[in-house]
Amino acid sequence: MRLAIVWTIVRKELTETLRDRRTIMMMIALPVLLYPLLMMGFTKLQVSQREATASRASRVAVWGSVPSGLLAVLSDEGRILVDGAAAPPEAVRAGLASGALQRPALADAGTPAPADTERRAVPAPRTAEPENPAMLAARAIVAERRVDAVLVLWPDLLPALAQGRAGRVSVYFDSVREDSIEAQGRLVERLRGYRADLVRQRERDRGLSEGFSLGLDVRSTNLAPEQRRSGQILGLFLPFLLITMSLLGGFYPAIDLTAGEKERGTMQTLLCAPLRSIEIIIGKFVAVWIISLIAAMANIVSLGTTMARILPGDQIHVAPSTLAVAFVMLLPLTFFMTAVFLALATFAKDFKDGQNFLTPVYMVLALPAAVTMLRGIELNAWTAFVPVVNIALLIKALLVGEAAADLIFLTLVSSTAWAVLALVLAARVFAREQVLLGGRDSLRSLLGFERQPGAEPTPAFAFTTFAFGLVVVFYGSLLLQGAGTVTTLLVTGYGFFLLPTVLLVAAYGFSPRRTLSLRRPPVGGLIAAVLIGCSAWAVAAGVLIRLLPPPESLVKALEQLLLLDGKPASLWVVWLVIGVTPAICEEAFFRGLILSGLRRLGPWPAIIICGLLFGLAHSSIYRLLPTFFIGVLLTWLVWRTGSIWTSIVAHTLNNGIAATLVYNKALAAMVGAGSEQFLGWKPTAVAMLVLAAGIVVLMRTRPVVPD
Amino acid sequence: MAPTLVAQHLTKRFGPVAAVGGVSLTVDSGEVVGLLGPNGAGKTTTLRMLAGILTPDAGRVEIAGLDIHEAPLEAKRRLGFLSGDTQLYQRLSTREVLRYFGRLYSMSDPAIASRTGQLIDELDMGAFASRPCGTLSSGQKQRANIARAFLHEPDLLILDEPTVALDVVSGQFIVESIRRQRAAGRAVLFSTHIMSEAEYLCDRILLLHDGRIIDQGTLDDLLARSGCRNLTDAFLRLVGPAAPTARAVSR
Repeated sequence: MRLAIVWTIVRKELTETLRDRRTIMMMIALPVLLYPLLMMGFTKLQVSQREATASRASRVAVWGSVPSGLLAVLSDEGRILVDGAAAPPEAVRAGLASGALQRPALADAGTPAPADTERRAVPAPRTAEPENPAMLAARAIVAERRVDAVLVLWPDLLPALAQGRAGRVSVYFDSVREDSIEAQGRLVERLRGYRADLVRQRERDRGLSEGFSLGLDVRSTNLAPEQRRSGQILGLFLPFLLITMSLLGGFYPAIDLTAGEKERGTMQTLLCAPLRSIEIIIGKFVAVWIISLIAAMANIVSLGTTMARILPGDQIHVAPSTLAVAFVMLLPLTFFMTAVFLALATFAKDFKDGQNFLTPVYMVLALPAAVTMLRGIELNAWTAFVPVVNIALLIKALLVGEAAADLIFLTLVSSTAWAVLALVLAARVFAREQVLLGGRDSLRSLLGFERQPGAEPTPAFAFTTFAFGLVVVFYGSLLLQGAGTVTTLLVTGYGFFLLPTVLLVAAYGFSPRRTLSLRRPPVGGLIAAVLIGCSAWAVAAGVLIRLLPPPESLVKALEQLLLLDGKPASLWVVWLVIGVTPAICEEAFFRGLILSGLRRLGPWPAIIICGLLFGLAHSSIYRLLPTFFIGVLLTWLVWRTGSIWTSIVAHTLNNGIAATLVYNKALAAMVGAGSEQFLGWKPTAVAMLVLAAGIVVLMRTRPVVPD
Repeated sequence: MAPTLVAQHLTKRFGPVAAVGGVSLTVDSGEVVGLLGPNGAGKTTTLRMLAGILTPDAGRVEIAGLDIHEAPLEAKRRLGFLSGDTQLYQRLSTREVLRYFGRLYSMSDPAIASRTGQLIDELDMGAFASRPCGTLSSGQKQRANIARAFLHEPDLLILDEPTVALDVVSGQFIVESIRRQRAAGRAVLFSTHIMSEAEYLCDRILLLHDGRIIDQGTLDDLLARSGCRNLTDAFLRLVGPAAPTARAVSR
């Protein structure tokens, strides 16, 4: 791939796209106008309505015999206006006066209504009270908007007050009308005051101390700081808005640059130019990605400005750093979607066809971002693997201020894996001349499952395989939820690492011996493997862990895992499950299949990248450095000796010794790996010497030239 | 000297349909060869395979001695391709299109600039070279397209119905520039439905029918063999409704 050519294509595509008014609309104008209009309009409306409601006195009808002083209490602050003219229908008036009309019991008699019904923020469902003449009359008068609410004083109120019992009153209101809710709130508040006076009077009359009837004075206080509260509100809709809008920015350019070019017949001029198809697709990809990013940036800036400058008061506060992090999160997301868009739009024969292809895909991929509006769905190890949803949840978690470093890491790793898969798909589609010229092609040839004799894995194959492996392991482990640790480890190892490795080698017709380095190890290589296998863990535990100490919970979880759920198992079972199995399966996958693809990058890039992928696969930022370190050593072993058996030996020893030390505390104390968080300096120094010896032996071992 | 374009036994199937079955041809430098055939004869597929846009199922293509599938970039650099249905980038001007393709063909910026100036003069594009291509007339577009195909001074020009949908004046413009390319020693292979163009331009004519070359030679050869007075009659006799099938002819 020639970068100068790619850059030429990127610049041309950007120039052309930016001259398209439709793109500019979607990318810049829409977000710049949308947020201020949406938020300002919405909040202004809300605020002005609230103000209007608050400033107006509530009109209330009071039906029934009024106890002394109640009317004065109700209209005390002038916020309630008792409308004497809003009289009940004659039947209701007569019923209330004669006592023929009583408050009916609640329909759901099974569960007693709470004593304090009037304090409940959400009124009991309407069905709770059976229909009765007073209710029907109240509904009619509220619906006609003659009053905002009706207060019914039931016939037994006056006698009950006189006899020291609880009198019955009802407030009828319409929860859909803002004015009615306000009237209900005011009525309830004033009635509460009236009741408090009444209780105080009764306590005094009977010589009881004040507060006797209250019993408990309860106060609840919201602990969430302002930042988190506003974050929560934002977290509900902001991720969804940001994601759908950013993706929209790349939607039209993706179609225009692929299906559009086919339609206009410019595609074949590109195809007969001296270009590789990978250069064309990468150029187009980068251009669309940049446009998506500009759209994302425009959205974030517009949103931030709206919040900071335009919203009245400090209703919602969001830190600029949060927005910056949200933008970073949009990088892998837009990367992924751009690649998916391009791959699919390439299939379309013209612009309209492209829109038909992409609209459902856009819906299916972007709408799940709405999960942020559901309570209870949070970012965890599972959701972190679901594309788009993971980023939406992560942005939400960031806004609320509770994103764990490990989950951010996991989300970025999985998003990148998805993005790579999507880009590989796009590149594959683009390499099909049939598709580019408007024809169709078989899925089989598209996925590249066509055996070619003498084929060798490529770096692109290695990265795809890695991303594919991550996804397989994720969905596989979903299936294994609930299974025991031993089952999980064995199935993951043999089923998700070894089996796909064997299948891929067979499907592509790669040479097993060359691809998996199945050669007899040199003696020096074996000695080096033993030395490195015995010492590498100790260097990791004594030095690397100190750089980024893992949280206690992770250490405990890992120990639990090494002990196979803490169940007492024989030591040989532990070695088999923790030592040998991962050694064989993970080595076949990483040092076999993936390394063979990376080989043509040269020794050090291949060793570093293979080690890094191995580290990333451990899906924890705290384990990244130690596993990267060990991964590099294992890869180096295979590179030098040409035999995968060396890394299998080292990997087995490494895992087995670590498990043994957790298993046998006495032994652990003997080597100085006791209860402290880090391995002591003395054993670490010894381990470094052993490791150095292993490396020296390895350097002296004759490297094997791959045959 | 070896021919500029050599194609041997080109074959291409689209699913069950054999579009091209074993086409071999050569074009020398300074020679204009016409590819004639009815609709669906396989002209476009053949030209696309020659230009490296389509990979043949069998057979090989060499441009200036370079195998287009072994050294695709070097071979394509010596090739200029133009088809009648090719559009230009609507929102770029002719100058911008030329600069873009110049860079894709790895030309230096000064070389692009001088060559662009030369082509603008030669094809009389000064009036519209800075306007977005979307605003140009068909004739102007096709001139700009020719400039794009000729920009990097290729040894071989492959033109697929370059004059389709053009009026007589614009068509003549193209025909004259093809003659100029021949005079400059380039090899030209072009397909057309306009018999007078082929009569006027071609040093040699290939007749394609059902994916096979059923006859070839100079205009005089073809006329003599068919006993017709003009190419249209000869064409109708060979590939018209009453014509024997390609299979029968090749036997």
